[in-house]
Amino acid sequence: MLGDQNELNVVQSKFSSNELVVAVHTNALLLEQEGWVDNRRILALVKHEFSFALFVILSVNIPPVSFSDLTIERIIPLDECFLCDTEPIPQDYQNIIFNIYYKTLILPFKVEISTESSNFASEVITAKEVKPVEYKDCIFAWLDKYKDLDKIVMDLNEKLGDFPLTRQKNGQGQGISGNRESFLKYQLTLKEPEFTHQQEFTIFIGTWNVNGQPPTALRKWLSCDEEPPDIYAVGFQELDLRKEAFLWNETTREEEWQKAVMEAVHPNAKYRCVALVRLVGIQLVVLINSKHYQHVKNVAIDTVGTGILGKMGNKGGVSVRFELHNTSLCFVNSHLAAHVEEYERRNQDYHDINLRTNFRRHPLAIRDHDQVYWLGDLNYRITDLTTDQVKYYLSKSNLEPVLLADQLNQQRILCRVLQDYQEGDITFIPTYKYDLNSDIFDTSEKARAPAWTDRILWRGKGIYQSAYRSHMEMRISDHKPVSALFKSQISVIDQAKYRKVHEEVLKRMDKLENEFLPQVTIDSTEVTFELVKFREAQYKDIIIANTGQVLAEFEFIRKPNDTSYCKEWLRITPYIGCIKPGEKCDIRFEVNLEQPLEELYDILVLHLSGGKDMFITVSGKCQRSCFTTSISTLCRAPIPLLNLNPDQLQHAETQQSPVLYSVPRELWLLVDHLYRYGLKTKELFELNALNEDIVRIRDWLDWGSLDPISVPIHAVAEALLLFLSYTKDPIIPYHLHDACIAASSNYQSCKQIIVQKLPDLERNVFLYLCMFLQELLKHSNENGSDVKTLATLFGDILLRDPVRNSRPQANRGKASFLYHFLVNDQSCLLIVPNNK
Amino acid sequence: MSTGQYNYSYIFKYIIIGDMGVGKSCLLHQFTEKKFMADCPHTIGVEFGTRIIEVAGQKIKLQIWDTAGQERFRAVTRSYYRGAAGALMVYDITRRSTYNHLSSWLTDTRTLTNPSTVIFLIGNKCDLEAQRDVTYEEAKQFADENGLMFVEASAKTGQNVEEAFLETARKIYQSIQDGRLDLNAAESGVQHKPSQPGRNTLNNDQQQNRYNKDNCAC
Repeated sequence: MLGDQNELNVVQSKFSSNELVVAVHTNALLLEQEGWVDNRRILALVKHEFSFALFVILSVNIPPVSFSDLTIERIIPLDECFLCDTEPIPQDYQNIIFNIYYKTLILPFKVEISTESSNFASEVITAKEVKPVEYKDCIFAWLDKYKDLDKIVMDLNEKLGDFPLTRQKNGQGQGISGNRESFLKYQLTLKEPEFTHQQEFTIFIGTWNVNGQPPTALRKWLSCDEEPPDIYAVGFQELDLRKEAFLWNETTREEEWQKAVMEAVHPNAKYRCVALVRLVGIQLVVLINSKHYQHVKNVAIDTVGTGILGKMGNKGGVSVRFELHNTSLCFVNSHLAAHVEEYERRNQDYHDINLRTNFRRHPLAIRDHDQVYWLGDLNYRITDLTTDQVKYYLSKSNLEPVLLADQLNQQRILCRVLQDYQEGDITFIPTYKYDLNSDIFDTSEKARAPAWTDRILWRGKGIYQSAYRSHMEMRISDHKPVSALFKSQISVIDQAKYRKVHEEVLKRMDKLENEFLPQVTIDSTEVTFELVKFREAQYKDIIIANTGQVLAEFEFIRKPNDTSYCKEWLRITPYIGCIKPGEKCDIRFEVNLEQPLEELYDILVLHLSGGKDMFITVSGKCQRSCFTTSISTLCRAPIPLLNLNPDQLQHAETQQSPVLYSVPRELWLLVDHLYRYGLKTKELFELNALNEDIVRIRDWLDWGSLDPISVPIHAVAEALLLFLSYTKDPIIPYHLHDACIAASSNYQSCKQIIVQKLPDLERNVFLYLCMFLQELLKHSNENGSDVKTLATLFGDILLRDPVRNSRPQANRGKASFLYHFLVNDQSCLLIVPNNK
Repeated sequence: MSTGQYNYSYIFKYIIIGDMGVGKSCLLHQFTEKKFMADCPHTIGVEFGTRIIEVAGQKIKLQIWDTAGQERFRAVTRSYYRGAAGALMVYDITRRSTYNHLSSWLTDTRTLTNPSTVIFLIGNKCDLEAQRDVTYEEAKQFADENGLMFVEASAKTGQNVEEAFLETARKIYQSIQDGRLDLNAAESGVQHKPSQPGRNTLNNDQQQNRYNKDNCAC
């Protein structure tokens, strides 16, 4: 056993005890074009008797914790279509690709080069080398059961081979499509009378224990009726009693008896062999009138030995099943345990045959068939009567007391065997045991009591038995052959009607398929916000109701060319979720404006997994604010922003109007307020303000007011930080950041950037702020300010990154840069003429 | 067990496009439910319908995406064209403006689908003969000039609806048979095996992008 023992045990627990997990590889990455988000797979090599299969398994946890983590995704039998190899990955010495080929399928797995992977690969290769005698379909029959896994399998056209199992999560039309075929079959069965009519077929059933004798002419038995039957089912027991037959299941008698049968069939019809099956001495041949042969389909055979060790074929049953038109037929020839007292063993044999007959390719039990004909040497004897008594009644042609003593009749009344079968009235004398070549009951020393060991029974609808007899003139064996003639109603499909019904059912299924698509309704596909203002969050809720019949998995998905499923001003909670049928889910859209936008507009795509997409339009007008406006515009605005008329605003924005202020009026108001009231305040830039105070400051600045604002000083401090953080562009333009950081160890270099590179207005703002901060630091005894803290805080804001905090490693450089301007006197800089 | 005959061997993806109110959803409904949907609300998004049909003895599952016709959604609905094997382009024979916009719809289709995509032009509402605003002949000529298949149909009466959907499938199937349509191509719109309809191109890597949005290292 390979792989970590714990992991192996977990995987093993997913399988039944006769399916041995030989090796697992827990972390193989499936390289797919489309790429699932999670492409990790567990590979498991599983052995059943003499065959192997490779299971590709999804796991919630890697390594798996419990078998419930595991979902089988794909099964690949290691048959002649299976190949595998490895290929190196260029430039990668850690990993290797393990390729699995099956017919047209290629599964490349990236695995780490390790003892785990090399052991696993060699186990698979070895398993592939272990070649059963021949690849019969049936050796992989154990894989069949996985086809029905969770009813999620949709495509199983191939009876064997690669079974791609659809992932449950993605199953579309859950509940119907997975079970599409069985649903169709069921519906068609219900409607069968609509497209079929009954046609009578005559079926001749014969059974004979031939006591190992070579064949004789059989015409008197098989062609005893005037009219040729449509179907023959002829069963023999003890075809060959030689040791070779018993040990090796080899005999020449099969052919000889088959020839004898073919020669003896009714001369007025031509017959074709539907199937011939033999287990040691138990042989069954089914023939059909050639004209019906084309209506036979899905022929399958099976054999069950119940002899020594429950295996050897000297006792047991052989079966042939097929469909004739629309009726399924099953013929069972059985030879049950011998000896008078062994009736319970015979019952047991009968149950074993029922239990173990399975027609692998068509996994049906005997009793699943519309009509079953059970024939053979059932070996039930006559008890409660002495041999002499039996012979006495028989000589008087009084069968009744003997039939009452028949074990089969008794066991059937007790429902111990063949309980739901019918048998015709027995009007012939017992068929066992005779002296060879005579019609005389056993005269040997044992003088066995005569018995009706050879019987024919049936179950199913529309079966009428017209004859049940023995054939005394057949004398080569110690048994007499028995035959029965049936008139059986076979359901014949009217093709035209069938097509119509089939079509109808399909249409209904299509309709159901649509009905089983996930369905939801949304109470509104338009989310309109009232006037959206800076730093004043608004939210709107919508309700998604699952009006369908299956789980609705929803998710807001990204549109092409977008970087996310929604714009940065919007937050959707939850943006992904799952709603049960009949239930609802509230979705909150929260808008928080931090950009200089005129209006908000976006179309969101709400996707239902396996279903439709809905568009939700989000819109709203925005109110301008000085907080998100450029320094250049603010310095040109003659009056507060919201009092500007559109022309004035446009002129300011396009820099057509003259610069009126050396620093924005709003900035001056904030700094002046802090200068007047805040120089002695502790933790000035460290306490969070109430958002409503920020909003009041915003309105005070945007609308303009002559009255000083009355808010806590900390709110004004925070407003200053916000103002500097949200200006349309940072005070120090992005393109200078790297130069500033590079220069940060040298004051002169820093000064040069400010003096030479910074635009006038930005330089004014920068120096104005630095001077205010220096002023603040002069009062550090009272306000507790500290130059390094301020340098870090304002450095980060004045040189803010396009995406906030995306370069934390640069913070130290920014702080060092600003530090110079807080500890050196800047007054000289203010009067430096602009060189540009 | 006769598995094969009840299953479908192909999935064809269709899109239905055209101006608002031409009856795209009604055509889909008529095709999948055999019923006329009166008072059909405007589609706000992309509806999804499916039906299994038979072409040349092959079962084919049609996955039909019925798009919103409103102009404001056009940019978004364009992303649904990708990978369509069939495009049903619909106009309303009683409203000339919907016909006039066909060339724009056609341009989108040609740009956004692959060359083997079958485009079928449907003049809907042909039951409203009295209000006809576009003649059969001119539309037929438009279709011929642009190599489109064409019928006039009525989602209300069901006339020609089945035909349009089935004929498109036949044409696609023919393309597969002729080898003109490469099943292995990622955007052929045809799948050999059943699978889910939904995971269209819109949502690739959105987790990844959501992550990037918040943590972009520029």
